Amino acid sequence: MHISRKILNIVLCILSLCLFACRGDEVVYPTLGTHVTDEVRQGGVYILCEGNMGSNKARLDYMNLETGTYYSNWYGAQNPKQLKELGDVGNDIQQYGNRLYAVINCSHKVEVMDLQSRHIGQVEIPNCRYMAFKGDKMYVSAYVGSVANPELLGAVYEVDTATLEITNEVKVGHQPDELCVVGNELFVCNSGGYITNQYDSTISVIDIASFTETQKIAVGLNPTRIRTDNQNHLWVCCQGNYANSKPMVFVMDGTTVLKRIHVPCSNISIQGSTAYMIDHEQKTLRAFSTIDFAELEVPIDISSYEHPYGLLAMPEALYITDAKNYVSSGVLYCYSYDGKEHWHAATGDIPGHLCRVEKAYDLYPDSVSQDTAPVVSPYVKRVYEYVPAPGQFVNELPKYETGDDAAVMCRKCEQAISNNAGGLISLGGWGGYVTFSFDHSVENKEGKDIQILGNAFFQSGSTEFGSSEPGIVLVSRDDNKNGEPDDEWYELKGCLYDDPQTVHHHSRTYLRAADTIQNEFHQHPYYPQWITADELTFNGALLPSQTQKVNGQNVQHILDYGYADNKPNSDIEGTSFDISWAVDADGKSISLPCIDFVRIYTAVDETFPQTGELSTELSGAIDLHIE
Amino acid sequence: MQKKISLILIIALCAHSVLAISDAELDSLYNQFQITEVEVTARALTEDVIVPQTLKGAELQRLNALSVADALRYFSGVQLKDYGGVGGIKTINIRSMGSQHTAVYYNGVQLGNAQNGQVDLGRFSLDNMEEIQLFNGQKSDIFQSAREFGSAGNVYLTTRKPYFKDKERAHVRAQMRFGSFALANPNVGVDVKLTETLALTLDAEYVYSDGKYPFRYRRVLPNGETAYDTTAIRQNGDVNAVRTELGIHHYYRNTGFWRVHAYNYYSERGVPGAIVNNVWRNGERLRDRNSFVQAQWQDEWFNRWSMRLLAKYANDYTHYKNYDERLLPSNNKYTQQETYLSFANKVEIFNWWDASIAYDYQYNTLARENLLLEAPKEFFHRHSHWLSAATAFNIQEYLRMQASVLMTAVDNNTPRVTPGMFFSLRPYPAIDLSINAFYKQSYRYPTFNDLYYTDLGNANLRPELARQHSVEIAYTTSNHKLQNSNANGYEIAVSASYYYNRVTDKIIAYPKGQQFRWTMLNLGTVKINGVDAKADMSLYLPLRFVLRGRLNYTFQKAVDVTNENDTYYGHQIPYIPLHSGSVVLGLDWQSKRGDHYGLNYSFIYVGERYSQQENSIYNYVQPWYTHDMSLYGEWQIKRWWLKANLEINNLLGQDYEVIQNYPMPKQNVRCTLAVRY
Repeated sequence: MHISRKILNIVLCILSLCLFACRGDEVVYPTLGTHVTDEVRQGGVYILCEGNMGSNKARLDYMNLETGTYYSNWYGAQNPKQLKELGDVGNDIQQYGNRLYAVINCSHKVEVMDLQSRHIGQVEIPNCRYMAFKGDKMYVSAYVGSVANPELLGAVYEVDTATLEITNEVKVGHQPDELCVVGNELFVCNSGGYITNQYDSTISVIDIASFTETQKIAVGLNPTRIRTDNQNHLWVCCQGNYANSKPMVFVMDGTTVLKRIHVPCSNISIQGSTAYMIDHEQKTLRAFSTIDFAELEVPIDISSYEHPYGLLAMPEALYITDAKNYVSSGVLYCYSYDGKEHWHAATGDIPGHLCRVEKAYDLYPDSVSQDTAPVVSPYVKRVYEYVPAPGQFVNELPKYETGDDAAVMCRKCEQAISNNAGGLISLGGWGGYVTFSFDHSVENKEGKDIQILGNAFFQSGSTEFGSSEPGIVLVSRDDNKNGEPDDEWYELKGCLYDDPQTVHHHSRTYLRAADTIQNEFHQHPYYPQWITADELTFNGALLPSQTQKVNGQNVQHILDYGYADNKPNSDIEGTSFDISWAVDADGKSISLPCIDFVRIYTAVDETFPQTGELSTELSGAIDLHIE
Repeated sequence: MQKKISLILIIALCAHSVLAISDAELDSLYNQFQITEVEVTARALTEDVIVPQTLKGAELQRLNALSVADALRYFSGVQLKDYGGVGGIKTINIRSMGSQHTAVYYNGVQLGNAQNGQVDLGRFSLDNMEEIQLFNGQKSDIFQSAREFGSAGNVYLTTRKPYFKDKERAHVRAQMRFGSFALANPNVGVDVKLTETLALTLDAEYVYSDGKYPFRYRRVLPNGETAYDTTAIRQNGDVNAVRTELGIHHYYRNTGFWRVHAYNYYSERGVPGAIVNNVWRNGERLRDRNSFVQAQWQDEWFNRWSMRLLAKYANDYTHYKNYDERLLPSNNKYTQQETYLSFANKVEIFNWWDASIAYDYQYNTLARENLLLEAPKEFFHRHSHWLSAATAFNIQEYLRMQASVLMTAVDNNTPRVTPGMFFSLRPYPAIDLSINAFYKQSYRYPTFNDLYYTDLGNANLRPELARQHSVEIAYTTSNHKLQNSNANGYEIAVSASYYYNRVTDKIIAYPKGQQFRWTMLNLGTVKINGVDAKADMSLYLPLRFVLRGRLNYTFQKAVDVTNENDTYYGHQIPYIPLHSGSVVLGLDWQSKRGDHYGLNYSFIYVGERYSQQENSIYNYVQPWYTHDMSLYGEWQIKRWWLKANLEINNLLGQDYEVIQNYPMPKQNVRCTLAVRY
């Protein structure tokens, strides 16, 4: 019956109007990744786009700051089976502990997710608006009203974050918006936003222990936002009545008003001792000191925005959104504090709420839409570890910048060697290593499997001597399926493996304090600057020196096979490796059907006055079985 | 005998809303009377400058349609906005200019809604409808009220005409309809011949539906695996509505007549609302009443000068209550009143040259009350004046032309003048081939909602301007003799038009400041290129079979060209499909004793659209198409006629939405039993 109906439908459709498109299965909304910047920073930013009421288009986007990729509909990719998607009108997003919470106003719920935005549960709260947290509790303001109650009051709900159950409720003023916790009290903005000419003008103070309203503080008309600064002062943005009562910002110490700042402020974000404010109507960005409330210079001009809307000030950058005309997609801008626009990305409708997370996430390949699903690539995809031993090119290839950490350096390595980028990274002196993977498992097939690219070259006219800085190649299979290179490693046995001069269990420790070996060309620290430990110890095999003086020059005897950065890249055979060469720690040959991770370390320990130390360089790797 | 025919004609004419009575129309009416039981689907040889799309009589009854809105889906160039169910709002948009550019006339007088400018066509029943006509531009005859020159697209609804044969004093109709979703829809009508010149018609109808229809949302992952698949029942979509109408028609002296028509509609319904994540029912309720009385008087002097007076008083009441505690509670009452007067004159200067002049005045008021806040009642009002001059002339049989100018003055705003020009060329009078073209400008004035709904009302709004350019080629051919309906033959009418419209100063809600305080601005510009193609066909087959077909296709490229910097610049405007069309096929059979049987199939297709300005994948809305079938029989038993009709709609049960998040019903059936005397 079902099939015949389908056939009938198709036939009728074709017969009737064959030039028109037929209706197909409704496919879940796709997630699209767009590369917006080459800059590498840590972690990521979530962008909650509100979507228009009734459109069910609340959308959670994610910007991966490490890869510079902006993902639209990130939540959809993490939760493709969520019935009717994220919901209707997103209103707040915050990280608390290891969870992400999003208020979906017209879906009357708080969506609870892990930090990667995978659905954990939801809390049903009618007409919920904003959140605050303390201890194991979440506090949510809500515009709950009742037809029977003409007062149209609002409420604040207390929710247990462990059970996601509502544990308490307290009535506050009209249409409560933002709220925040100071000490043992909760301060709630009563906006009165429903009643145009009767805005509220109070802050409800709630004693958290008894969960009762202890008092109402009078502030300006229509308070909508409340934040705390580093002095534990409250910043309250009052919108006024859009007519004779002007908007202003109140700074308060508990219930005492410290300062009234007569500027309009539709959104505020406090970073360090500076409060940043944007205004919707005037299209301005202002900054005030939280110490003396003096206005500070901000060299960022947002006057060309259509509707400045979302704002997030973080130590590294200022994120501002333009909601455009509220019924089409917006834009997220990232500025450094010196006024430079670093990048911008197109968002969903009404990008209103931003949340910075420390970790960067990438999409699981199977949750990416077909349009953007990556074709299996023969090139390096990801770098997991980059721990060079001190060396003349360390901190240069790739470039270390103040503040970079290990994760950022890995992203920089990816930029250099992934996806056939053709850059170069240096592993420094003996023992320094890098660990990378492809976007798939590399199969162990007949013959060579992986080509590893370096910067070795033959001396002109010779194939026996040249610049060879051999690195030993290790491989590993993701046996525990956790996607991390924490499984057993196997060495790919090269031509010197059985050489009696090869030291198989060598160890060397480098000290930061000893970082003085500089030659005239490399006037910078050799010790990897992002590594916080003051000493680095490496273990592995040390190959015998192959250096000889030929025509007064130090050159190396090119090894026969089995080492990275030993033969020029043009010699595909000579730079390729067979997974069948793998041996375990005892030197026993091991049969691996496929491998997931590759590690390479510098296997020689030689330094020359003019040319510095021998260090394995890596420029990429290719799975030879992928076209 | 002659006298009797004229009487019947007179009464027929009285009821006929297209008040302009040309000789041609008289002829066609006469023919129609003579052959009352013969349906003419194909457009007869017409002399219209502007050829309307028409659905009438039995053809209208055969369609799977409950309301006027359902029937209008079968016209080309029309997009219906349908929020689903019997009670869901249904409005139409002609040639993408926006539903507020469409004027709807009920028996010749415009239905008003000064509050939001939209007429919910789902409320008008087809049961007492004689004819539905759609004119692009304006009505063909220049003898019309001034206001009729003012709209870009016009829909004329004409209620059933009373027909009295010799010695008949009265007709009675009674009908009961049942259907899915607890539809119960009884309807009674009475036509009484009071005197030889005075007739009275009465019609009453009740509609109930609980609106509880199942709907399904299903999405799949790109690999085909089901992401979710859920079926729920639509809630809060119930409707209770009562309509009563009374008409009195009086004709005198063979040239003049007057008639009075009173209409009352009362309904109480749920507003089912959008289905979004975690929200499966809403609690808003709407109660409204629309009442009006309209009177017309028309006469003619010296065979040259026709004059008409029209008056209308309408009183509409809407009460909107929100019981949903999760949303903004509201309890609002709106009362609208409309007083309308029209005075139209037409002079025949020569038999090939007419001229007309008309003046209309209208006074609208709107009272808004928020019962929850006990705020003082707000009161808005508006005076509108229209003055039109029009002329029409023919150059032999080759060319017909019409030109009109309309001056509109609303309150103290600068009066606006809009012209219209219409041509119809018939290069070979022997063949019914015509090339028609028009250019017209029309304004759509801001409604009370546009002006005052938000707290940031913008009293400086300019009216929205639509400029239409249209060319049409139409051809009709027939070998069928109307007088002998049993002969084999065919009637075919085909036409195609191309149009280019431009709407400027489009009134757009624009946000200002925090908390979504919208203000209205004259911001938008929309450019529309469209093609309408249609074909009507009737094949008269042996054994008294008649096969009818109707084909419509519409192509519309309606793009937003407001600002090049917008991300949606050049994108198709929301809810306008590039392609849409319909097919209707009907097979009728008449037995020797005169019983009728018929089978009807219709297919409606609406192509892919976007739900918002930006044509992005996130705003994409899939095409939808429905297959509908109906089967009917009509039997005569002495002087009684019995009729039964069974309709199956959305035969294949497609889960679709016309407006995003407003699911439409799956398969549903309706069964109608009627008796008339």
